[in-house]
Amino acid sequence: MTALPRRIIKETQRLMQEPVPGISAVPDDSNARYFHVIVTGPEDSPFEGGLFKLELFLPEDYPMSAPKVRFITKIYHPNIDRLGRICLDILKDKWSPALQIRTVLLSIQALLSAPNPDDPLANDVAELWKVNEAEAIRNAKEWTRRYAMDN
Amino acid sequence: MEQFEQLLTCAICLDRYRNPKLLPCQHSFCMEPCMDGLVKCPECRAEHRIPYQGVQGFPTNVTLQRFLELHIEITGELPDPTSGQVMERCNVCSEKSYCSVCVHCEKKICSDCKGAHMDILRREIARINNQVRRALHRLQDSLTLVEKNSLSLQQNCTSVSEEIDEIYRRLNKALKDRTEFLRGEIDRYLSTELRNLSTLKENLELEISNIQSNCDLADKHMTEAVEWDDCELMDAKEIFLKTVEFIRNFEYENADYNRRVRFSMSTDPNQLVLHVAGYGELTINMPHQPFVGTGGSGGGIVTSSSSAGLLQPPGPGLMRSKSDHRLASQFRQQEERGGYDRGYGDGSGDPSGTSGRVSPLGSRKFGERYQQNRGGSDRYDQQQSRYGSRSGGGGEFSAEFESPYDNDGNRPRSKYRSRFSRHHGENADSDNDTQGSRSVRFTEGQHQHKERERVLDTEDVARGPLSGITRLYDSPRVMKRLQESEQRGKKKETAQPAQPPQLQVKAPQQVPKRTQRQVSEEDEISKIKRANKSGTAAAPATDTTTPSTPDVGRPVSERVAALKTARDTSSDDRDSSQPSSPTGRIPPPDVSSPARKAPGTEVASSDAESDDGSSVSSLQQTQRKTAGKPGSGSVSRRSSASSDVGSHKKATRSASSDSSTSSESSAASSSVARSSGTAFTPEEQKQKFKSSPAESPAGSGASTPRTRLSSTGSDTPKKPFQSRFLASRQSAATAAVEKSTKEEEEDEEEESESSSESEETDSEDESADETSKKKPEQTTANKSVDKSDIGPLLARSALARDTSEAARKNSRDDSSATGYGRSRYGSGADTSSSNYRPSYGTKDETSASSTGSKYLNRSRGSVDEDNTASSRYGSGSGYTSRFLNKSKSSAGMSPDEEADSGGKKYSPADDSSKYPSGRSRYAALKDRRARLARSRSSHSFGGPDDEEAEDGRTSPTSSMPTTYLASRYGSGSQSSNELARSRSTHALKSRDNSPDRSAAGTEKDGAALSSWARYLKNKYGNKAGNKDGGSSASGASSSPSATTTAARRLSLGLPLRHNSASVESSDDDQKNPGGSPTSPTAAAAAAVDFWLSGFAAAAGSSPRSQYLQKRRQQFKIGSRGSEPGCFTWPRGIAVGPDNSIVVADSSNHRVQVFDANGIFVKEFGSYGNGEGEFDCLAGVAVNRIGQFIIADRYNHRIQVLDPSGRFLRAFGSQGTADGRFNYPWGITTDALGFIYVCDKENHRVQVFQSDGTFVGKFGSSGSKPGQLEHPHYIAVSSTNRVIVSDSNNHRIQIFDVNGRVLTTFGSEGSEEGQFKFPSGIEPYGSDIKPYGSDIKTYNSDIEPYGSDIEPHNGDTKPYGSDIKPCDGDIEPNGGDTKPF
Repeated sequence: MTALPRRIIKETQRLMQEPVPGISAVPDDSNARYFHVIVTGPEDSPFEGGLFKLELFLPEDYPMSAPKVRFITKIYHPNIDRLGRICLDILKDKWSPALQIRTVLLSIQALLSAPNPDDPLANDVAELWKVNEAEAIRNAKEWTRRYAMDN
Repeated sequence: MEQFEQLLTCAICLDRYRNPKLLPCQHSFCMEPCMDGLVKCPECRAEHRIPYQGVQGFPTNVTLQRFLELHIEITGELPDPTSGQVMERCNVCSEKSYCSVCVHCEKKICSDCKGAHMDILRREIARINNQVRRALHRLQDSLTLVEKNSLSLQQNCTSVSEEIDEIYRRLNKALKDRTEFLRGEIDRYLSTELRNLSTLKENLELEISNIQSNCDLADKHMTEAVEWDDCELMDAKEIFLKTVEFIRNFEYENADYNRRVRFSMSTDPNQLVLHVAGYGELTINMPHQPFVGTGGSGGGIVTSSSSAGLLQPPGPGLMRSKSDHRLASQFRQQEERGGYDRGYGDGSGDPSGTSGRVSPLGSRKFGERYQQNRGGSDRYDQQQSRYGSRSGGGGEFSAEFESPYDNDGNRPRSKYRSRFSRHHGENADSDNDTQGSRSVRFTEGQHQHKERERVLDTEDVARGPLSGITRLYDSPRVMKRLQESEQRGKKKETAQPAQPPQLQVKAPQQVPKRTQRQVSEEDEISKIKRANKSGTAAAPATDTTTPSTPDVGRPVSERVAALKTARDTSSDDRDSSQPSSPTGRIPPPDVSSPARKAPGTEVASSDAESDDGSSVSSLQQTQRKTAGKPGSGSVSRRSSASSDVGSHKKATRSASSDSSTSSESSAASSSVARSSGTAFTPEEQKQKFKSSPAESPAGSGASTPRTRLSSTGSDTPKKPFQSRFLASRQSAATAAVEKSTKEEEEDEEEESESSSESEETDSEDESADETSKKKPEQTTANKSVDKSDIGPLLARSALARDTSEAARKNSRDDSSATGYGRSRYGSGADTSSSNYRPSYGTKDETSASSTGSKYLNRSRGSVDEDNTASSRYGSGSGYTSRFLNKSKSSAGMSPDEEADSGGKKYSPADDSSKYPSGRSRYAALKDRRARLARSRSSHSFGGPDDEEAEDGRTSPTSSMPTTYLASRYGSGSQSSNELARSRSTHALKSRDNSPDRSAAGTEKDGAALSSWARYLKNKYGNKAGNKDGGSSASGASSSPSATTTAARRLSLGLPLRHNSASVESSDDDQKNPGGSPTSPTAAAAAAVDFWLSGFAAAAGSSPRSQYLQKRRQQFKIGSRGSEPGCFTWPRGIAVGPDNSIVVADSSNHRVQVFDANGIFVKEFGSYGNGEGEFDCLAGVAVNRIGQFIIADRYNHRIQVLDPSGRFLRAFGSQGTADGRFNYPWGITTDALGFIYVCDKENHRVQVFQSDGTFVGKFGSSGSKPGQLEHPHYIAVSSTNRVIVSDSNNHRIQIFDVNGRVLTTFGSEGSEEGQFKFPSGIEPYGSDIKPYGSDIKTYNSDIEPYGSDIEPHNGDTKPYGSDIKPCDGDIEPNGGDTKPF
């Protein structure tokens, strides 16, 4: 295990010192590249009030490649599948080394408030979202209440 | 400002811009590493064409750089230290960063990785430090032992001297009384006689007068003139007649008074005088030592050893030649090992020297480490040390032969040093120089694998005299670091955490040394004195040493001193030098441990003293130089010497029993002898000296430095002095001259010694003088060194060697002949004496003996212990015990070399393994011996000597003197082949008798012996053979079949010894190490450990005892691998009709056959599913007609092969139906030829006819009786009981042949009678033995068998460990047990 790159250290420090509102990212005790993330559901979204747990892992070549992020808390979202995988461009091809953990998490938070059923990952959810958004939002709220609020 | 900084921060690395490059999109990023692999702008995702030459083709953002500079100016922060550097890929993490070379891995790596490596180093240091700490007690133990020994030695000597005094008084009194009595008698006699005579005279006179008057009267008056009547006449006539008669008859008995008083003695007065003169002898209990000393009177008693001296055993020639090529090989090796020695010119120059210096202790300790890290390096070290010692020995030998004194000095010195010196670190200090260089190697090895600059281990660092371990506190670097850290700590408490820890870590390492030192230093005074000595020694050393070698580690005695001395030598400014020397001075700022502090202070004091000493020495030297004359020089020397002596004396006198002092005295005596010395030509001397440095190092670390000194310093001024010293040494060259001189010297020595301490002091003075002549300031240590030097010198000359060797041999022979319990001592003494003889002739003998006797006398008290004691004396006769050992060891070395040359190299691993710990060493020794014995029949001595040497080394530290002795003994005997036999017996006896031996020691000892015995056997045949048997019995096992075992071992030999494959393959299996006889599992787990006792033990003994016997490992076959004789997961074993051993080598998909001795016979089978092919076969069985029945596990079939391994038939396929299998495992066959198969995954046992026809089955999945859960192995007893290891039920079940359950026993657990996944099983005779991964022996009565079954319980063994039964009884012998 090589030492932690300076950038990760800096980012971590900054995350600790100036946490982003609504987002907490804490590195794992045993692996500084692994972060336990909690993102609050953004206001005015079906996920409002929920606390969503994510895991974030900085790969070996970070920041040259994107961090791996996954929802642990179940979430009803067209761009997030049952396994918590996130369909977000900056986590894929749009990754830029100028992005940081905080920006990524902010993007994810933004994704919660702006689902994009046109680029779905969870097809059934996306379908419902497109066909019957109200129903979908209800479902999302229900899921949020069920999975993201009790803890 | 915040924003300003943000502007100066690269968005990618989040760090300040470094060499910002401006992209066409106007975004800037660091050139490295942020823009590596850049395609699009990270900020705006604009795609840019990368310039042809890469990102550096983008323009530098000059504005940004200005801002950066501005920022730097404003904030005042330091400029980026890496600016201007070019990033490289880290060779470890392959990140791009500013790399620097890591000494740990020798790659250019980034700072992160470097930090990690440093962490590793720190951890390793900590770990090693722990080891050191843990092992330190050994040194302390030996210290206490040494102290104890010295005490006991003193006591012994005092008691002996008191005894002698008492005897003297008694004799005196008796003599006086008798004399007085006799005188009184004579007086009385005289008076009475006189009285008688006088009375007689008176009477006679009276008579005469009477008669005269009568006559006159008669003449006058007996005439007629007077009237006489007849009566009167008659009376007168009668009277006259009577008178006549009286006169006639009277005869004076002249004889009576003529007789004289004679004084006659009951014994011949001459003889009586002789008797009285030789009224006592001092016997020193050195085993086998022949020495006899005469008491006070000069009458010499001839020691038996002396007689032998003249004989030249045939051996020497060999030795010599060996030594030559030994040297060569050493040299070669050294070159190879350049890494170790590198940097120390000396080391390369004289390989032997380097090696010699290595302290066994140190080496050992580090050896562990080496092993871990470096595999073979260890070996090298060892070898080197061996060589070194060897070479040293050679040198010693020659020295011995020529001049016993010298030899003695050398030997003892070196020995002492290496073993004990740490004790006497102070004295040793002078030696340290040389040792230091040697030691350097070690330390290096410790820290790094390869050459690299040593920063801590610099020349000025104090080194442990024995180990040459540097004292980290003395290292300027360390001090600097510590200081820095301290300062930093003051400045900002948050200062780097890294460095201090590092230092601390290091410090602990150092600590041991420290402690050693401390220990060695008994009291401050002595320390100081020693320091002085060392300082003095060091000073001369420095002087002598050429400037090029300054770096070479001067051992302990304070590089400071060295520095000073150097300065001194150059100019008289030594005083100034002291203060100036930075390293020594600075007391370590942060003393982590109290010990440290003490050392620091000590160092300071020592430094001061050393300075003084050095100054003195320097003065003296200067005097000498100026004087040029010996006389003037001598005066100066004297003074110096006297001062030295004084200090020495104190040290010696102090109860501490500094061996060094004793050695010194002895050295002094020797030096005295030398002093009488013949004059050598300066040139010769020079030569010798020069040569000596090379060779001497081996002899003793101390010696080397001196030698160096002498060599270098010898130049003009010293020559005169040298001549004296040399005289004794150069026996070969100027033997005749030397003889005379030596004789004189010896006489002197004798006298001095016998007379009293004062004489000793004189001798010391003399020696001191001599030494001073050479090197004015060298203390006794120096003296001894000188001696040692001599040895090496001699060694060089081939003649010298020959003679020395011969002498040695002779001496050994003598000693053996004398039959004294010959200890190393003895041998040492012998050698010395013998040496004398050859060189000096008969006359010398007496002197030699006398000298010997002196020493002996002294040492005598402390017989066993008293290596140390002997060492004291050693100087006279060569320090006996240790020194001898050493010398022997050196001698021993040669064999190794020989062996090496012979191509019988020991695998490095072995060597390395030897050294890690005394024990292991022993074991290694054992192995080695065995090998040697075996391979080396041709080399007569080599093997044994070698062994001895090793023993010797080990022994001092290890507290088994007896072993030592024995080994010693053995070596001695070996040296003289003729004697070998008788000696061997001796050796045996001694070993047996020795009560002190620890059990382990005995074992090893025995083993060693056995090997030795084997060796003998090879050489001498039957007789030796007997011994062999006995020895092996004692050592390895008390089994009745010990001899056979031994024989077997012999036959099996090492080649068969492989590591057990299982051990290597799985740790679980390894739990019971293959060797441990008590763990049956191990055997099972091991590739194949045969506890052959099963074979050997016939039916005669009771089952229980038989059984017990079984658990002894008979031999072991195989190791992991795929070659013939190796196994990969052997899973089945069977015994063929001819007692062959059949092993199912599962993962090699083959069957291997070994004969009863474990020798590979054949193999057959290969991977596949065709005929005669296997896929991870498991069980194997051999039926009565020798057919192999094999459970072809993954092919789910049983194959039957004919005895030659050809396929006969197969049956079964995967399935659950009858006759089908699901991973068949164990297989066996009974007397009727039925085949029983553990159909493991079907949880049943199937029975077939020998042709494969299904007969029946029993068992089903479950845990009830009769049910099976993954049955692994199966066996059928001779009583037709079917025993199944019901593995997942953790039990053994016994069925009858019809599948009815008879017994079930065992449950999961690790208690006795419980199992955990038992697998193997095998009936033995009437007993059942379950094997299993964890089966232990069962003692419960299991009814059908009625015999004892002992529960074996092992720990958890992995399920299904794949081996079949290998327990002692694996397979019943001779079919008596096994039903076929």
